[in-house]
Amino acid sequence: MNSNFSQPQRQSLIGVVVMFADTFQGTARALWPFLIVWIWKIDQYNKLYIALVVLSVILLIAIVAYLKYLNFTFFLDEKNEEFVVRKGILNKSRIAIPLDKIQQVNINQSFIQRLIGVHALEVDTAGSNGKEVSIRAIKESLAVSLKERLLEGAQEAIADDNEFAGESSQAKQANRPFIQISLLSLVKTGITSNYIRSFAVLLAFMITIFQNLEEFINASGYDDNPLDNYINADVLLQFISFIVAAIIFLTLVVNLVRTIVRYYNFRITKQQNGLLLSYGLLNTKNTIIRPEKVQVVTVGRNYFQKKFNLNDLKIRQASGMEANDRDQSKSAIEIPGCNETEKNVLLQFLLEKIPERGVMLKPNFRKIIFETFKFLIIPIGIFFLFAFKFTPFIKEYIVFVPIYGVFAAILIYFAFRNSRLFVTDDFIIKQSGAWDIDNDYIAPHKIQTISLKQFFWQKGSDVGIVTLHTAGGTISFGLANFTKLNQLVNYWLWQVETTDKHWM
Amino acid sequence: MEFINETIDTAQLPKYEDVVLTPLHPSYFKIIMFNIGLVFGLLAIASGAGFYYIKELEPYWLTITIVYIVVLLFTILMCVISFKNRGFAFRAHDVIYRSGAIATTTTIIPYNRVQHVAVHEGLLSRKLGLAAVEVFTAGGNNSDIQVPGIDKDQAEKIKYLLMGKINPQQDEQQF
Repeated sequence: MNSNFSQPQRQSLIGVVVMFADTFQGTARALWPFLIVWIWKIDQYNKLYIALVVLSVILLIAIVAYLKYLNFTFFLDEKNEEFVVRKGILNKSRIAIPLDKIQQVNINQSFIQRLIGVHALEVDTAGSNGKEVSIRAIKESLAVSLKERLLEGAQEAIADDNEFAGESSQAKQANRPFIQISLLSLVKTGITSNYIRSFAVLLAFMITIFQNLEEFINASGYDDNPLDNYINADVLLQFISFIVAAIIFLTLVVNLVRTIVRYYNFRITKQQNGLLLSYGLLNTKNTIIRPEKVQVVTVGRNYFQKKFNLNDLKIRQASGMEANDRDQSKSAIEIPGCNETEKNVLLQFLLEKIPERGVMLKPNFRKIIFETFKFLIIPIGIFFLFAFKFTPFIKEYIVFVPIYGVFAAILIYFAFRNSRLFVTDDFIIKQSGAWDIDNDYIAPHKIQTISLKQFFWQKGSDVGIVTLHTAGGTISFGLANFTKLNQLVNYWLWQVETTDKHWM
Repeated sequence: MEFINETIDTAQLPKYEDVVLTPLHPSYFKIIMFNIGLVFGLLAIASGAGFYYIKELEPYWLTITIVYIVVLLFTILMCVISFKNRGFAFRAHDVIYRSGAIATTTTIIPYNRVQHVAVHEGLLSRKLGLAAVEVFTAGGNNSDIQVPGIDKDQAEKIKYLLMGKINPQQDEQQF
């Protein structure tokens, strides 16, 4: 079945299943508001009628999926050095990607694709976001040889004036993973990180259940909540402690499962002057990181992770020009559960040397005052304003005010204590966070824009905030001594303006 | 230890904060005032119509009028301060733009990080012979600079100056 890609070819026939799943998902996503309404009113309709509608919709989706399959072809145009994809049922489109514009080729596998034994191949280009091409169903051997062919073309173009050229031959020999995250590390990461995110997911889930339960109780015709009669202080206390314990337990479980499913069998391989990451239990993902594209590297860990010798790495690469900050943080690549040595090996590879800390800059104590206003005085003030002026019923929740206050105060204090900026000739390191302490590393030549912000009342006390914009997100530090920040800004500007290194 | 060496250097480096910034063209203030007039004029017409047609609003006419005047005065004050605050400078290696009323933001883009440059002309600014120069980088929307209220000929000159600064490097930048 070897690889003659010069003739247009279709995807694997069994890929129709993937097309079907994709189309089905797309349709369901577009129609869900109607679906929900229909499900509520399901009793009012004739069962036969519903079955017919559902059946015909599924049939329609199947036909669309098959047509999508029929109309999707790809081939390699050797003469023009282009990779060409034709697709579309009614609106036909032909996408041609010049081989030298190909940034990376990823081979991924979702759950459905794994079930039927095909892979997805995604081609990433240097251009804008919308131009990427993805082949949804392709046999693994074919995918690998196509990927090689595509990158060959790209590599030739790069090799012309890239110093790394020597390394690619070296990388081809050493194709076994040089870092592998063990299941144990993942388990440790799962129980020590991301509490807030899992808690939020859980809370949303519980609220939904609770509301449904309430509706059910109302619907089943009780005049008042039957629970009311049984509740006394003792039972209530037990109930609350049970709930709290359950929430903690469930948060841990959700976290653990999520981490393992997502990052199972995490392998990092050196490849063609980049790192190939592959991971996932149900959906296998492959991503390539190219050091020259890396803009910001974040190493994060909390108190527990420090004790366990674990680090979470987040790598932000330069993405499309128009991407905003939110997209960029979404597209950050995470490497969970690295120990100290693995972290250093990765930093060495991505940043060319292990960053040292160097000159330290502390925030001004006014940062505490500022944050206190922002997170304590103003929110609580608004709460009291509403509680006593407009919506008295929220007075019931007044017990939460001191809890929130203490919690916020502790966070503000620790965030202040951990907030630091370290500057050396080669790196800028920003340390931040109250519980999860993050260290953001950027090299000065990755800076695109520097901006400084100062409120008018901060002029007298000579404090301000500096923000460094890179193609992979921003880093802000402040409030800090403005004179020192200005010095640093002048220094960084000088570095950017005299460097011959490219940001990408 | 290495950095101590550099601290001497940093003291000798050109200071961005000492650069004398060029204020915006005085005519640009007219545009700002026109915009305020437009928004508040429409608001006045809307509330006038509201008082005329909705009788329940009548008892509040004094409060609404006072709030309207206060907001108007505050907006004008902010615009005056922000207009005086704004300034730009094109240095040999970077462009500096300062703006803001309550918070002053200074943004600096080195020329070797500029992606492209655009010159915008609004309907009113064209009448007054003004244009805005926008400088784009790869750092996302918040990191771009838009300098309004520049004389049109000057804006074109700035654009060519920047293009000249970008283009010789562009060949190197591709790999």
